[in-house]
Amino acid sequence: MNIIATPESELNSLFGLSYAQVQKVLGDATKSSGGKNAFCDIFFQAGSSQSIALDQGVIKNTSGSTVNGAGVRVVVGDKTGYSHTDHVNVTNLRRCAGIARAIIEHSSGVDNVPLASGGKQHNLYPVANSPVDADLAMKIDILKKIDLFCRAHDPRIINVSTSIVCEQNDIIIATSRGDIFLDRRPLLRLNVACLAQEGNRRENGSSGGGGRLDFEVLLAEDYWRDHALIAAKQAIDLLAADPAPAGVMDVVLGCGWPGVLVHEAVGHGLEGDFNRKGTSAFSSLMGEAVASPLVTIIDDGTIADRRGSLNIDDEGTPTTRTVLIENGRLVGYLQDKQNASLMKAALTGNGRRQDFRYAPMPRMTNTYMAGGDHSQEEIIRSVKRGIFASNFGGGQVDITNGDFTFSATCAYMIENGQLTRAVKGATLIGNGPKALHNVTMVGNDVALDRGIGTCGKNGQGVPVGVGMPTIRINGVTVGGQS
Amino acid sequence: MKSSTKASPAAKQNKKTESKDEFVGGQKNPQIATLESLARLIVEEAALQGATDCEVRLGTSESVDITVRLGSVEQLEGAQSRGVTFGAYVGQKSATTSSSDLSKPALRKMVKDTIALAEASEADPYAGLPEAHHLAKGVPDLGLYDPNIAAIKIEEKIKLALATETAALKADPRITNSNGASFSDGGGITVYANSRGFLGSYQGNYCSLQVSVVASEHDEMQVNYWGHSSRSFKSLESPESIGKKAAERALRHLGARKVKSQVVPVVFDPQMSARLIAQFVGAAQGRSIDRKSSFLLDKLGQVVASSHVTIVDDPLMPGRVGSRPFDGEGLPLKRRNIVEQGKLMTYLVDAYAGRKLKCEPNSSATGNLHLLPGTQTPEQIIASVKNGLYLTGVSGPGFNAVTGDYSMGASGIWIEDGKLSYPVSGITIAGNILEMFSAISAVGDDLQFRAATNAPTILIDKMTVAGE
Repeated sequence: MNIIATPESELNSLFGLSYAQVQKVLGDATKSSGGKNAFCDIFFQAGSSQSIALDQGVIKNTSGSTVNGAGVRVVVGDKTGYSHTDHVNVTNLRRCAGIARAIIEHSSGVDNVPLASGGKQHNLYPVANSPVDADLAMKIDILKKIDLFCRAHDPRIINVSTSIVCEQNDIIIATSRGDIFLDRRPLLRLNVACLAQEGNRRENGSSGGGGRLDFEVLLAEDYWRDHALIAAKQAIDLLAADPAPAGVMDVVLGCGWPGVLVHEAVGHGLEGDFNRKGTSAFSSLMGEAVASPLVTIIDDGTIADRRGSLNIDDEGTPTTRTVLIENGRLVGYLQDKQNASLMKAALTGNGRRQDFRYAPMPRMTNTYMAGGDHSQEEIIRSVKRGIFASNFGGGQVDITNGDFTFSATCAYMIENGQLTRAVKGATLIGNGPKALHNVTMVGNDVALDRGIGTCGKNGQGVPVGVGMPTIRINGVTVGGQS
Repeated sequence: MKSSTKASPAAKQNKKTESKDEFVGGQKNPQIATLESLARLIVEEAALQGATDCEVRLGTSESVDITVRLGSVEQLEGAQSRGVTFGAYVGQKSATTSSSDLSKPALRKMVKDTIALAEASEADPYAGLPEAHHLAKGVPDLGLYDPNIAAIKIEEKIKLALATETAALKADPRITNSNGASFSDGGGITVYANSRGFLGSYQGNYCSLQVSVVASEHDEMQVNYWGHSSRSFKSLESPESIGKKAAERALRHLGARKVKSQVVPVVFDPQMSARLIAQFVGAAQGRSIDRKSSFLLDKLGQVVASSHVTIVDDPLMPGRVGSRPFDGEGLPLKRRNIVEQGKLMTYLVDAYAGRKLKCEPNSSATGNLHLLPGTQTPEQIIASVKNGLYLTGVSGPGFNAVTGDYSMGASGIWIEDGKLSYPVSGITIAGNILEMFSAISAVGDDLQFRAATNAPTILIDKMTVAGE
């Protein structure tokens, strides 16, 4: 018999606490605050994860971990107190609350109270069984098949490194406004890396994917084979790649993961905290044209199964679809409770944290550029001399001056509208509020990445999605060696 | 403030437990004895339950972080953490699990579950602990615990952070905003034991002070920071010095522009130089060599850099940020030259890589890694460059350890006729790291130990700069 889990019942079964005990801690944390409005929330996390890897043809050390902890936050206006424990009981919660509420005496007089999380929780990843509990033998079997497939693809593949990482986190959030929320979050990730060798030259190719998915997804041969093929093909292609050219040129970015451009060039700069503090390159640009009219950028945490999606954010707010740039004009920021209340803005469901050890901040979910009219072929054909980049290692941005960098692992020269040869080591650099003015063509093939992104901010990593159609940007500085 | 996205190979598990390696030290306290007896209990329990070998790492830590912004306290954080990581071998099969529950019933269950997970896995013929004769024989006291840090009152910490931010904000009227200043301190205990007879523990603590400020002029904003971490409160850099340095670093980038694409000499400032050294040495890991995933493959004993380059690993330096008395497998640590006058002297070999590469393990861990200083001052090095880049910042993931290909976003100051002339940004620098190391033609005399990896200013004769 299945009893329907409620936040209260899970609080009891996972942490041995009653809701009344938690409410008492929340109440004590915010009382006698000298006439100031204090807010408290407690983030409980009970999670498990498992990682299994194959390298050089053998299964490596299998690892698992469990976390069971809680973080107590007290907010007074723009001030925050935070403490966590990895040994949850009433005594430790009270101790944490005592540390967190010490912030109240530092209140500056601003005491905007964070908004209550309204709206209905989504049901974006109804996974019945934790992927962590899926049979280990099945996981080993998939890894071995990937190893064989890649080696059979080309004899120049001399090593295959592949792994499956599964996580399941049960989250409970209780607040001093009397809210309590529960979310169960599965997360699955497959990685494939191939090393190819010819003579003395070696190159690495990789692919990966996943999401908030049932483990069964990985069992489908099409799924793992696709990643295995991409990784193997990329390693082989790179064996023949020349160093990328250096200089300013027109660039075509493929659809999907190259959307890391959107994440770096625009996304971070539109997070509420930087804009409230006036430290973002976008701080004074609300309503202004910050991109070509062809560009519309959206952050959407409500897409089913996605790595960056959440039923509720880490403050209990249901995630939303937020338009950040509409036809080139800046129209939206991403908010958590504290920054939304201070900026007198609506909640967007972007309050996220790495785990119970950290206070939440405004973070992206799945951030992508909306599609346009052109086919990828048309866009490539339009370029006389430039590069086509479809696979990136990742990127980085300086939020304050807007300079961003992202690096192509494999790219191709475009000469007279044709892809001619593979090039490697191309770093692309630009400035957030300026670069997207140079977008001259937008493809009709919008896609999200396959589920591989982890975003880092202030030392906290969270899973995110990025996406884009194929686009053409003119006059990008490409940093190659030749 | 910088943020990054990457396609990470795998989620990092139990980051907090791992990072306890940073809190090393030598003073005994009663908590250590408790953790040591738990470690013995786990090793005994594992043998009873059928593990043929096992290892366990236990740790506790405490930390306090205080952030002030624009003259008042913005965030107070305090936490106590603990964790256990247990690895079991059943023959050549192995598994590792971690948790934060140190109660005896939970630990017994963890031992049982880990052994079951190992049994369900597959054999790796090279898996296993180091041989008993490879393990460290003693635990040197490296003076990693400073009682003066634990005694600092919270009011004092707030004052230090406020003074640091004030020093930065007052340095120049063009310093117009702040990301805040913070004082952090913490400490902890690490205990490591294995079934080959090793049991070692250490305690340590640290404190750090840093500030990040925004310089602005016209429509332009530039952010930069400065900070210092130390295991001794007395030697922590002063708030005035940190604040002033952060302000200078932000101000000197105002008015940054692009330059034309060209091939020029590049002077790496000490931070950039240290980062490059860490990238280079990362490729000397025995496991990467075994996997043929390193540009240093087949380079042992060969010339891999110019004769100016000697890279030293010295984890036993007393009281340093990167010091520790033994490594994560219980292997002893000692000072070693990784590169000596340009020649690659050793790979960094753990027990696993040792079996695969058929050599003795010498620890894959490094601590207080540094490039030995040369004789020229940084000013002399800059003066020797007619037209080139003084590199102060890099960004992006553009380094490939398999091939050594290096292509990064860059910012810094352009050098004209031997003088720092104007700030540049929006450019990239590229090369192959082996060619770059061969082209190191000068090493500065300005080595300071401030982080886990440290280096003086260096000059690389030739790199490709891409700009306009």
